[in-house]
This record gives sequence, C-alpha cells and structure tokens, in this order.
Amino acid sequence: MTDTWELGGRPVYTGAHVTRRQDDALLSGRGTYVADLRPSGMAEMAVVRSPVAHGRITAVRTAEAAAVDGVIEVITAADLTDVAPYPNFAAYTQTPGTFPLAQDKVRYAGSPVAVVLAENRYIAEDAAELVEVDYTELPAVTSLEAALEPDSPRLFEDWSNNRLLDLQPDDSEVAAILAGNRVLRRRYKMGRHTAMPMETRAALAEVHNGRLHLWCTNQHAHIARTTLSYVLPLAERDIRVVIPYVGGGFGLKQHLYPEDVLVSWLALRHGRPVRFVEDRAEHMIAAAHARDHMIDIEAAIADDGRILAMRVQVVQDLGSAEIFPGAWCPALTTAAHMTGPYDIRDCVVSVAAVTTNKTPGGSYRGFGVPEAVFALERFIDEIADEVGVDRLDLRRSMLLQPADLPYTTASGALLDSGSFAESFERVVELGEHAYQRADAQYRSDPDSRVGVGYAVLFEGVSPTHHGASAHWMGHESCTIEVQPDGGVRVASGVTDQGQGTTTFVATLTADALGVPIETVRVELADSDATPYGLGAFGSRQAVIGGGAILLAAAEVQGKVKKIAAHMLEAPTDDLVIEAGRVHVAGSPVRAVTMADIATTAVIRTIDLPPGMEPGLEATARYEPELMEHTPDEKGRINANAAYANAAHAAVIRVDLGTGEIEILDYILAHDCGTVINPPIVDGQIWGGIAQGLGGTLYEDLCFNDLGQPQTAFMDYLVPSAIEIPDLVIEHFESPSPNTPLGMKGVGEGGTVGPAAAIGNALAQALAEFSPQIHETPLSPAVVRAMIPDQRT
Amino acid sequence: MTAPTARRVEPSVEVPISVTVNGEAVEAVVPARQLLADFLREELRLTGTHVGCEQGICGACTINLDGEPVRSCIMLAAQVDGSAITTVEGLSSEGLSPLQQAFKDNHGLQCGFCTPGFLMTLSTVDPEEYPGEEGIREAISGNLCRCTGYGGILQAVRTAWNRPQDG
Repeated sequence: MTDTWELGGRPVYTGAHVTRRQDDALLSGRGTYVADLRPSGMAEMAVVRSPVAHGRITAVRTAEAAAVDGVIEVITAADLTDVAPYPNFAAYTQTPGTFPLAQDKVRYAGSPVAVVLAENRYIAEDAAELVEVDYTELPAVTSLEAALEPDSPRLFEDWSNNRLLDLQPDDSEVAAILAGNRVLRRRYKMGRHTAMPMETRAALAEVHNGRLHLWCTNQHAHIARTTLSYVLPLAERDIRVVIPYVGGGFGLKQHLYPEDVLVSWLALRHGRPVRFVEDRAEHMIAAAHARDHMIDIEAAIADDGRILAMRVQVVQDLGSAEIFPGAWCPALTTAAHMTGPYDIRDCVVSVAAVTTNKTPGGSYRGFGVPEAVFALERFIDEIADEVGVDRLDLRRSMLLQPADLPYTTASGALLDSGSFAESFERVVELGEHAYQRADAQYRSDPDSRVGVGYAVLFEGVSPTHHGASAHWMGHESCTIEVQPDGGVRVASGVTDQGQGTTTFVATLTADALGVPIETVRVELADSDATPYGLGAFGSRQAVIGGGAILLAAAEVQGKVKKIAAHMLEAPTDDLVIEAGRVHVAGSPVRAVTMADIATTAVIRTIDLPPGMEPGLEATARYEPELMEHTPDEKGRINANAAYANAAHAAVIRVDLGTGEIEILDYILAHDCGTVINPPIVDGQIWGGIAQGLGGTLYEDLCFNDLGQPQTAFMDYLVPSAIEIPDLVIEHFESPSPNTPLGMKGVGEGGTVGPAAAIGNALAQALAEFSPQIHETPLSPAVVRAMIPDQRT
Repeated sequence: MTAPTARRVEPSVEVPISVTVNGEAVEAVVPARQLLADFLREELRLTGTHVGCEQGICGACTINLDGEPVRSCIMLAAQVDGSAITTVEGLSSEGLSPLQQAFKDNHGLQCGFCTPGFLMTLSTVDPEEYPGEEGIREAISGNLCRCTGYGGILQAVRTAWNRPQDG
C-alpha cells in the first residue's frame, strides 16, 4: 500500500479529453454484443414464463412442445437434478432458496417455469406456447403495505412472515429526544423503476475443450464465474466468463440470472452452443426492477426548524426476491444516507425488506440513494413551511461546512472531503437567477405556475460488495505487462458497459507508466485473461480499479528504472520516464526506450542487473483501508471508499390545465474529486440526470391486485430527446485524501437528485394549493389532481 | 388455471427476395415470417443493426429503406423485395462519415447500442425539414438512448448540421 498516490509519469492524458477507445467500432456497427455472436451449430432457448403471480404448479406438460420439428429438448426444474439453488451468505436475512426454474411454486408473473431448446428462436417460441402448465392460484401480495400485514399471505411458507430482512436497532436515545421536542412526521414513497438498458439481457454458452465458456451481459466476469461454480456441477477452473460489448448495465446486469445458468446447463448437456437473447416483453417482467421504497421520518425539530434527531423506517419492496445477489442492499443504502450532508448527530433507522408477488427487485443506478434524498430534501422543505423559515436558510443552518470535515455521519460514513455548502450556494445563485427569469416570463400566464426546487446531497461511492452479497468485499485487481517491443498489456477485473472503463484504464496506465497511450492494450471482462476482480457496481471502477492500476504500474516502473539505471549507468533517482523513454535528467539523449528495457527484461536477460529476476510485469490488488464491510454494534459502517456530493436545482413550469411539468432549467453542481476524463464525467452526469428525471416524471411499473404487470415497454416512458432539457453542469473538485489521486465515483450522482429537486420545485409552484408531494412519479395525472378544478 | 389453448404450428412458407444491401445485390429465400432485422443480422450477418425492443418503439434497429428511416424489427424480410437498404455498416466505405465523426468528437455515444439507430435516422432526414434546436430534438425523438441523456447526441447533430446552439 502506498502512502501517497501518484502517477509515475507526467499526467499527459489524465484530466484531458482522451477519445474513447471503442467509438470507431461502435459507430460503424462493428461492436460485437452477445446477441451478435453465432457460433456454428448454435441452438436457441426460449423461456416458458408463469402468467400467474402466485400459485402452486400442479402439472407441466411438455410432450407436445417437444414433438415440434426443430425442438431439441424441453426442460423443467425436475430435469435440473445436478443444479444447486443460488446460495445465500447473509445470515441476517431469510433465504428464498432461488432456483433457476420454478420448482413447486411461482411467486411472480414472469417466473421461468420451463425452457425450450430449439434450432432457432422462432421455433423455440412456437414450441414454448405449447407447454401447458397447471397452477393452483394463491392470493397475491402486491404492495409493501400488504406484505407487512401480520395476516398477509406468505411467499415462502417456511418463513414466519414476508420480511426477508428486518433490522430494528435500539432507538431509545433518539426516542428520548423526540419525547422532549416538537416532532414532525412524514411518509415518502418512490415508485417502481427499472434500469431499462437499450440492450436486453443475453447469454451464449459453449463447451470448448471440456470447459464451459459463457459470453454474457453480466457486469462481473469473476463473480459470475464463481457463482456459476456454486450452482452448476463444475469446478471454477472449468468455467470461462467473457463479457463482450454490453449495451448498458446500470446495475440491472449485476445479477446472475436464471437464463445465464440455463444456457450453460443446456450447452453442457447437449455439447453445442446455446444462446438466449431476452426480448423486451420478457425484460419488462423478468429483469430486475428497482426502487419501490417507503420511508417514514419522525424528527425532533428546533424552533428554527433544525433537525435535532430523526427516527426513520425504510421499507423496500423486493418483489419475489428470487434473484442473486439479493436485492435488499438498496434499503441499507437508503438508511446510510438519511442524514444527507447535514450535521444531524442523532438518527436511527430501522430497515425492512419485504417480499411481494412482483418481479424481483435488484440493482439500479442510485441504489437506495435517490429514495433517501427525495425523502429528506422534501422533508426539509416541509419543515421550513411548517415552522415558517426560509428553506435555503434552514439548509444553511445544518449543512456541513469545510471546517466540519472530516465528518462521520450518524450512520458511520466518513465524509473526508467535499464541497457541500459551496456547491449548494453556487446552485442557489444560478437557480434563483433562472427562477427570476422564468417568473418574469410566465407571471402573467394564468395557466402556468413556475417554481424552483433544490436538493443537496452526498452519495457513497465505491462501496463494499458485502452489503449486497455478504460474501464479496471491495478489492480490484490489475496486471500490467510490458512486452519485448515496449508495448503494454493491462488486464483488470473492471468491466465496461459503455461508461468508458476501457478508456480510463488506458489513460491511467499510460500516465502511471509514462508511455504513449497508443502503446497500451486493455483487456477486461474475460475471466481467463484478467486477475480476479469485482467489476462494475457502485461507481467504484475508477477509484478502486484505478488504485490497482497505480499499484501495479508503480511496481513495473520501479523495475523499469532499475534496468534503465543499469543500462545507462546512472542512478535511478536521476532518471525521467516520458513518452515511453527513460532518460537521464538534463540529458535527453542519454536514453533507452521501453522496448530496450523490456527486451532486456524478457529476452536478453543476460544484460539485466546482477541478481534481478527476468520479466517486466506486476499484478496488484487494491482494497481501500478505510472501507468497512460489516457494521459495528450500533449498526454504523463506513461502507464506501469515498463520498461524492452534488447540489441540484430544477426550475419548472406547471401547466395548470394538464398537470404537465416542463423543466425550464436544470442546474447541477457536482463534485467527484479528481476528474480523469471530463467528457466522460459529463456524460455520466447527463445520463444519470435523464434516468432520474425519467423516474421522477414518467417511469412507473404498475401491478394490479392479482399481481399482473400492467406496464408494457410502450407505457414505461423512457425519456426521449424532447423531454430532457439542456443541463447546466458546474464542477467542483474536492479530492479525497484517502483515495487514489483523490478520485471519487461519478456513475450515479446525476440519478440521485432529480426527484427531490423536482418535488420541491413543484411544491413551490403549486404552493397556493397546498399540494401533498410525498410520492413519485409526478406524472401529469398526479399533478393535475393537486390542482382544484375551479380555481379562483 | 391452465395455459391458453395451444395452437398448431404450421411450417413456414418461404419467399424469394431480391434486395440491394449496402450497394450489393442480394438474392435470398426467406421464411415468410422472418423479421427484416433478423434477416439482416442472422442471414447477412450485418449485426450493426441492433434489436432493442421488437416493438418499433426504441428505434435501435432503424435502417435506411429506399431513403426512408424504417424500423427493421417490425417489418418482414419478405416485404423488402426490390428495395435498396443501407445499414450502419454501409454509412461509410472508409473511416467515419462526418456524422459518425461528430458523434465521436462530441461524446455522442456511451454503450453504443442505440447509436446505429440514431445514425440511420439522421442519415435519412433532411436537416432543412427540422429547423432550429427543437428541430434537432424532434428529428431524433423516435430513438431512445438510456446512457447519454442526449446531451452529447444533440451536440453531435448540431456539429454535423452546422447549427449553433440557441441562446
């Protein structure tokens, strides 16, 4: 472990606009995604899914489907005799015992019940319609409120309730404060969303030299490989997982889904390649849903509105919970963010994650933080209204100031740096200006109201995986090899779903070694070619993957300098590494190239310094020292390597006739510490805000009382270019003293704030009607219902 | 509850087609029910045409069919007999076209899955029919992107269409 993180070379590329590595291929249609692979002899799979949300399977008849020309086999759970259920490592949860195909019960509409393997997908889908399944239907649990009822039907009969997770910490200290003060209570809910990557899930399995090769859209090559070895009767050494181009992940592709296991099992059984490409209709009901939280806040309030103490209950609707890794961690993450970047010393949060007869919840960008920010930031505006103080001054009275840092939150998060107050003031300045402009424009329009809303937040980034899996922790890995011609191969456990991972790996490697970026070849997401790493989740890859790169590069560079010193007959301290050459300081012509050095290290080893081992490569692993994996006895945990922060402002116009919200201005000040690639950072913020706005205004996955999904792709309104406004993005850079180069993750920050900012803007715009704004989405119908039909 | 009554599967009828794809003449006999997107991807192996929804909503599968932007996921291969098709692979014979280059220079793509659809839509529309900033947004409003929030895409189109941003 290094005490100070430094690049080994001059930062030629870090912080610059380095163009992305994959763009030429992607722009000309040559990027190869899983669905583009078609090895010879390939068969295709279609899944028979339950139309029933909750029911007992009494019979499955497959003979007619199996008899269709071109059908190879039809399988059900009974055929998977050598498959184990997905494991559960979390002793503090109940275990759903998830199996790739439904065994005796189905617990959501869309649950996989049988699989047809056929010569192509057309035939497989034809035959899938001929599989007959008999169900005895059971009453469905379709909301988290219903799941919490003591007499609620249970999804898992061996559980005593529907609470997969139920953490009730000691709240006596907070209760005492609440008892002696004015208390305000509110309930907030966030709707059910999904990541909706433009590429659906896909997997292709093939047996090659006796080993299983799985090409898939998963976000982690190694976690996927390990998980397959737990479920399938295969040694891990006999599995290779490769992740080619992926069309967006956003957390949804963190889970190793049943179809990944099923293509693998079928390829092993039949000795031929098997492909599954999910269609969008399946994706709506079988890929992970997210959010669906309810948050109850009780707070003791001072006369000036300051929050003295909070007692919070977070409930997350998990759907059927039949997913791996499990999906309860967003609720824990919500709990960890309930105080926001405010000085609120006393906060206790109970957390429940409940099962319902809906599609399993899972990961999605934001991962519990948008829920916390929406609840807390709306709550602060409501306190201000209730107490009669200015909402901005109320925030100022509680916001963490530079002198407060480092600050440990009530949940144990170590905020070692950040620009909480500064970014907020900047956004207020821009937001008030934009609001004045909007007000002037629409003041005389009787059918319009304008408002500005703010949200200020911190966001844990680069977390431990332990909260989600209770199994994996937080390290990342990197191998750097300098080859005899001086070219560099860098292999890492991080993965690229389109966010630009490949480019940042090349960038940091080139600068850390002092070589031209063109000489760096990046290998990711192939479990055979890369050291064990944890891949993409929680805005971690630049921070943790970057640390591993710097460590490996430092080791390689140390050896480069020793060899060069020997060749140049100069002390190592006098050497400068630049653009792939090592020269003596002040004497640029006394130089050797990286090729000279690597040739010496690998081929002409006779020329190495006496006693030096041949070779010029290093593998390093970085696990942040301050990251904690399990909570202390009071439930506190510093679960992240870093904490980014942001402030959002939304200026909106509400059409009183239709209830439509038009975003006039959206302003964001963001701080992710040191920036590696400005356009990539901006792109992450834009995309994150678009997803946050989608969930706030349009997107909602609905179910009826029978647990039938009611939202088709056509109804799940992913924003188009019409709906997303131009954004004003301001950058603050508060490097973390504890992370490599001071980096903090950026992948999720944009997603986290829009619900709160829009909600607060709407409250101001419609203040004359005293609207109750406690839930998202804020669709036109919802907003219209806040407006009296007869206005005076 | 029982699954819906099964219906008999009849063998597909095949249809001969002649079509020009990216300037090359193609003669093929296609299953009558084969989607155009599947024909391009699975038979011709032009996998740059991506299938995002099979419902004509997301626009990822957009191709140029006789000069019009068409969603190849909701059209049958049998319908294109006698037509000329351009896919993303045919946009430029060497290097990147100015439009593709504008996407690259302006960070107009992230995962790249929706990108061919945007390129094909834009390569078939006449900029003059989509004036101003709102025109750009309208021109691409039938293509969904989940990564970029459209910021980089809009900037790419402004660049390619030589259209300064309003205000």
